[in-house]
Amino acid sequence: MNLILRAQVATAAHDIVPSWPVESFIAVNPLAGHERRPFEAAAASGVVLARSRDAYLADAGRGRIVDADLEAALAERVPELAWQLAIGGKSVSALSVAVLDMRNAQWNSPAATEPSAPWLDEYLATWVSSYLNPDPLWAMPHKQHGFYQAWRALARRDPSLLRTVRRMVTELPVEPDAALAWALVKLGVPAEAVTETLRTELQHLPGWVGYIKWRAEKIGDIDLLSYLGVRLTLQALLGLTCVPSTRGPVLANETPQAVWHRAEQVARLIGGSRTDRDDIAAVSRVLAINPVPDHALTWQKAYELHYRTALVNALRNTDPYTPRPQLQLVMCIDPRSEGMRRHVEVLPEMETFGFAGFFGVPVRFSRYGARGAINSLPALLTARHHLTEEPTPSAQAEDHITSGRTRDAFRRSTHRADSGTVTPFAFAEVSGWLYGAISVLRTLTPTLEARIHRFLTPSTAALASTVTIGDAFTLQERAAMAETAVRMMGITQFAPLVVLAGHASESMNNLYQSALDCGACGGNPGAANARASAAIFNDPDVRSLLAARGIEIPSDSFFIAAEHNTVTDAVTLLDRHLVPQSHVDAARTFDRVQRTAAGRLVKERAQNLPGASPHDPARVQGRAHDWAEVYPELGLAGNAAMIIGPRQLTRGVNLDRRVFLHSYETELDLDGAALETIMTAPLVVAQWINHQYYFSALNPDTLGAGTKTIHNAIGTIGVIAGHAGDLRRGLPWQSVGHGDQLFHEPMRLTVVIQAPLDSIGRIVSGNQMLRNLLDNDWITLTARNDPAALWYRYTSYGWTVVPNALKGT
Amino acid sequence: MNNLTQMTRLEVVVPARDAPAIRELITSAGATGYTSVSGVSGIGHHGQHSGALLFNEYDTLTMLITVLPPGNAGELIDAIQQLLSTSSGVMFVSDTYVSRPDYFQ
Repeated sequence: MNLILRAQVATAAHDIVPSWPVESFIAVNPLAGHERRPFEAAAASGVVLARSRDAYLADAGRGRIVDADLEAALAERVPELAWQLAIGGKSVSALSVAVLDMRNAQWNSPAATEPSAPWLDEYLATWVSSYLNPDPLWAMPHKQHGFYQAWRALARRDPSLLRTVRRMVTELPVEPDAALAWALVKLGVPAEAVTETLRTELQHLPGWVGYIKWRAEKIGDIDLLSYLGVRLTLQALLGLTCVPSTRGPVLANETPQAVWHRAEQVARLIGGSRTDRDDIAAVSRVLAINPVPDHALTWQKAYELHYRTALVNALRNTDPYTPRPQLQLVMCIDPRSEGMRRHVEVLPEMETFGFAGFFGVPVRFSRYGARGAINSLPALLTARHHLTEEPTPSAQAEDHITSGRTRDAFRRSTHRADSGTVTPFAFAEVSGWLYGAISVLRTLTPTLEARIHRFLTPSTAALASTVTIGDAFTLQERAAMAETAVRMMGITQFAPLVVLAGHASESMNNLYQSALDCGACGGNPGAANARASAAIFNDPDVRSLLAARGIEIPSDSFFIAAEHNTVTDAVTLLDRHLVPQSHVDAARTFDRVQRTAAGRLVKERAQNLPGASPHDPARVQGRAHDWAEVYPELGLAGNAAMIIGPRQLTRGVNLDRRVFLHSYETELDLDGAALETIMTAPLVVAQWINHQYYFSALNPDTLGAGTKTIHNAIGTIGVIAGHAGDLRRGLPWQSVGHGDQLFHEPMRLTVVIQAPLDSIGRIVSGNQMLRNLLDNDWITLTARNDPAALWYRYTSYGWTVVPNALKGT
Repeated sequence: MNNLTQMTRLEVVVPARDAPAIRELITSAGATGYTSVSGVSGIGHHGQHSGALLFNEYDTLTMLITVLPPGNAGELIDAIQQLLSTSSGVMFVSDTYVSRPDYFQ
């Protein structure tokens, strides 16, 4: 082992963000490795941080950005511009001069260019995908020896390499460390340039490199050392050269003449014919400290400020809801929940809460009798508790499992038969008409086909069961989870029926379905967590311990799990067999309320969904079964803010399904522990999601996944565009845009909190991750102590009062 | 010293997201084991670290402790130094004494 070389590889890979597999798609900030630096310093080769000048000017033209936004953005970014100057006899502020220049100056956005795919990248992509493909037709020989050794053993027979190269492969060192060291010497890389050379090489195939980093940490069958071993060895054999890149875009400084020319134009716009040379000189002093390369990010900040100001102004101080509500609905903080909560709360006896969708119950979950399991917990945590199901009528369970396994075996055998290369033609003759009929039905009437399919298919979900919380957690752990959830949500009184709703998305033929499932549940549906949480709250022993800790849950309060289908907006109650007779009517009432709310919400969503009509909600819901639909729903497109506070802040306000809503009451969290948990976990997940949408929208080909229409799956690992090449990162274009237009507004997350500023400041001071995000402008934070207090903005210099309203809106 | 054998102890404190790279170096160096302590709190070069976070193990600090024969520790120390030269984290190296040296070889 060459430990120094291994350390150099790790150093070179430090800023690379691991990419999760698409089967459990975790939103990550693709530039998370840069969060220790200011946002605007995160620009890398082929990556843009802001939109085009034309896009911002179009926003200005329709009032989406006004001069006051630009002045406020400039005041933040260039505080030196706080002076007045005289132009043509008029007194004007330096800020307004700079704004005029920003509207007037020409600049070109650096384009987000797709990296070229030279032969070497294509060659390596093919080898890595063959090595990692979990379900190949033929398994790669020598795979058990690791990536480098498998390649070394097979490359000597690879016809795509020259015969001389194939001969030299047999003489390569056996170990990847030694091979990489040999290659670096052969390529003439000096010792002091090794790390930078490795870093440059890791910038190629960023999708595969990110996935290999994830795989090395979670599974361990490949690592970046063996990948680089193959890459550089091959370069050495082929006589290619390695050149460390100059990192980051190079921005040219403006010449004094260019500044003077801009100043002349601006001065004439203000002073007209009375403008003289002194006026131009005065303007040029303003323009010199706001150079053109800075304009894009100022426009972006103004764009974000406009939204933030409107959001904060929209927040209300409604009266606390004092009578005991009849129904309570707890949903995930996911922005899609906001619409459902708003429509459900049309009834005054309904109360809703927002809580991270894993409900504070981090589990690895497997269905009863299932062979596999999913990690249903935030990616920030490691699974330690295994939850499964116990069938209630155990006599039926075996029949149920047997029929399920028979169904799976039948599916597998027919799939093998229809895709096998040696399948007899007789199979096609016998079964072809059936497949043809199913395909026609699925294409023309997907909803009907889904109904028939459901009718004919025995479903394990139909088996009445309970989740095994007693095996997964001790009583003390269960009580601690329940107490944490209550204190984080700030529930002060409990309704007779409390519904805990996880969420899942339902769609056909969608490689990115897990990107539409619950981000708080590791890109999986949240039903298992909701079921476990409901079971914990209904546990009499847990309630006794909670009572001793000051949390009284009335004996007539029953908790029930549900799942929100974000395509159809149905909220289906789960484990109905557990509902006591006393609560059956309440459950029916909830069914009625959610059906009405779903109807309204689907119509509302249809206004934004490409190709949908608010007049035909059934077709919108039918997208769940349509195998040709690339827009089953819009997911979290539009996400822009997170609000942490009591529902009184937002109840009755239409937030357009753009806001992560986490309930919080200071009164139940005197030591600030719950707020710290919210700020260091759900907020982090929201920020990851927000930045994934941001960069996928601005860089669809480099940090997004490009268009879905040409995607091909590599097992359950991810997708490639076409037949070969790099593994795609981020979200597909269909998650952020339609045609050539964005429907996601790329904005950095605005965080709004109602809690004591001292507590918030203490929490930020104690967490480097929060300091990085806030001090480096990756997110913003606006807060107030209580409903009577002013709003303050967090800055690296302290809290600053937020002006009440924006002029000019 | 009381029939104890001298060994070298390394304690490395790094952000949890950087811990896999350190663990990989430790195992590659032939160490027979290590101890990992998550949620480490304290004050350092980058300010305060509040320690264990309830639902976030990714953004906490981790301390990795390993013990090796002195003859085997040199290259690992150099490698970790190399890794920490461009990222945050600290390493403490000290002599220690163990009663069962075969456990560490």
